[in-house]
Amino acid sequence: MGNLFTVGLFQQMLRSATPVGLAAMGGLMTEHAGIMNIGMDGMILMGAFTAVSVSWLMGSAWLGLLAAILVGILVGLFFALFVVKFKSDEFIIGTALNILAGGLTVFLLRSLFQVKGTFQGTPDRPVVGLPRVNLGILAKIPVIGPILDGSSVFILLTWLLVLVMWVFVYRTPWGFWIRAAGEKPDTLRTAGINPERMKWLSSVICGGFCGLAGAQLALGNVTLFSEGMSNSRGYVAFACVIFGAANPGKAYLAALMFGFFDALGYRLQDYNINANLTSTIPYVITVVMMVYVVVRSQRRQKQR
Amino acid sequence: MKKVFALLLTCVLLCGVLAGCAGDNQNPAPQGEDSLTMAVVVAGTFGDRSFYDSSKEGADRLAADFGVQVKTIECNNVDHTQQIRNAADAAELVVLVGWEFYDVETVAPEYPDVHFIWIDNATSAPVENVLNITYAQNEGSFLAGYIAAKMSSTGVVGAVGGEDSDTINDFIVGYKQGAQYANPDVKVEVQYAGTYDDPAVGKECALTLNEKGADVVFQIASKTGDGVFQAAQEKGFYAIGVDSDQKYIADDVIICSMMKRVNDSIYQAVSDYLEGDTSKWGTTWVADMASGFVGIGYGDEGSTQQISDELKAEVEDLAQKIVSKEIVVNTTR
Repeated sequence: MGNLFTVGLFQQMLRSATPVGLAAMGGLMTEHAGIMNIGMDGMILMGAFTAVSVSWLMGSAWLGLLAAILVGILVGLFFALFVVKFKSDEFIIGTALNILAGGLTVFLLRSLFQVKGTFQGTPDRPVVGLPRVNLGILAKIPVIGPILDGSSVFILLTWLLVLVMWVFVYRTPWGFWIRAAGEKPDTLRTAGINPERMKWLSSVICGGFCGLAGAQLALGNVTLFSEGMSNSRGYVAFACVIFGAANPGKAYLAALMFGFFDALGYRLQDYNINANLTSTIPYVITVVMMVYVVVRSQRRQKQR
Repeated sequence: MKKVFALLLTCVLLCGVLAGCAGDNQNPAPQGEDSLTMAVVVAGTFGDRSFYDSSKEGADRLAADFGVQVKTIECNNVDHTQQIRNAADAAELVVLVGWEFYDVETVAPEYPDVHFIWIDNATSAPVENVLNITYAQNEGSFLAGYIAAKMSSTGVVGAVGGEDSDTINDFIVGYKQGAQYANPDVKVEVQYAGTYDDPAVGKECALTLNEKGADVVFQIASKTGDGVFQAAQEKGFYAIGVDSDQKYIADDVIICSMMKRVNDSIYQAVSDYLEGDTSKWGTTWVADMASGFVGIGYGDEGSTQQISDELKAEVEDLAQKIVSKEIVVNTTR
């Protein structure tokens, strides 16, 4: 088992966890505001498409990233329009959003770029990826140095964003209002704050983060867009949100755990374990952890 | 107001769904009154630059040479059975591309006037109007494995499979045998991605293999394989393409491709049909190396050649030995 826990394993864990973790940062906002958002997968996919197209058009990964966030915000507005304003069923709207994103990105890819399947730019103008971190002298730090050196910049920036989100949710009035909008909307209304507006805000933040997650997936992990490339990461992010009780730190840890078991799963194929079985490991762990989280919270309630 | 929006949303959704599975009719050549209508139904979507696109290329050539009217349907991994029926309602000849169309066995007898061609799998019992075409991918992969082992300087070669299934493993057993034929001490590492549509996962699999020392990686995973090429470019190792000649995707790292000439086999079968020869229907045709339907592609003229001419000549000799059955390649079929 000695060669199982290598630098590569932890690098892969971080790479797999980052897009999921970023999307989870958004998902926990809607979760706090009392919206069950399963449309994150579609938001990620649209973010990935926008990031790659703009990066290719403008020749800048950062502009691609910015555009992905903007499109994410627009999709968030679209989501809120139906869920908050027209009070439609969020489950249906979320599913609709995922299907829409799947079809729309394929349609746009084929009509705008005349490409089917995968787009990675043209020979004279490749898609520009996000920069990588060069730790320089810091790369000599044992264990952590080699793992982080050369990793995509958002692997590190995500930690900062997790902290920012924690402060936002638990230490600012806006975060407090968003949580109140989900838990006790009528109380919030009596206090003079409109809970609907807080729901709109949460949906917009969620869209922005999912756009960012898509940009990281398409420009950080790889540098291409491929039809359906979000590949259910939005659902995994949603699971992380539930797991981490919508706490940014815990949700990110859940994403890391998911990334870890994902990476471990691929390596366990070496030990003559059927690949179809190893690929289920992250999901089995998810279910087991969910049971644990639920049982523990029920016990706590009993003790009170 | 709410109803209007609900209606609007439905419309938008429908557009999305339609865009996703849009079929396009192409008939570039002028055709006569009684030209053949042919439907190509793919289990996934076009754009894999590999297996499915190769079938489209074959159909396009038929359209150009014989004025065949070609309709295409992309299943996007759902509703395979319904799409068989849709195609059979609209065309005289239906080409089903992908192992997933096993329901053709029950559907085909309902359409006695339609001739079906099923690519990459075979019905459990012969059906009168179904021609099964399977490929000796193990034979082509043997050569790919031989090249991989010869090009490796670490003595470790890798393969990324789309899933742990019989078809994918047929590639892998051939690849292993070929690699060991070239170098008995070679280590062959395999990773299954569990998906054909996720390049990020493909990249992770290839990086994992590279970490274990593999410096040549064979991708057998459709769009997931695009990530394998990116990993190869990032870490500077070699990759081998699959099904189509994929050299052009990443000229600097793709040293060759294991080609499964789906295009040529469809062309062959349909031109036989046009000449009135339907003797193949009701049987399984194994398109193999002897008939020239599997082999190795080294890219177009002008592309970078990492493989020496001597090695190419050795591969050619091996191909002859496989054709003459001097070498028998393992198979999972």
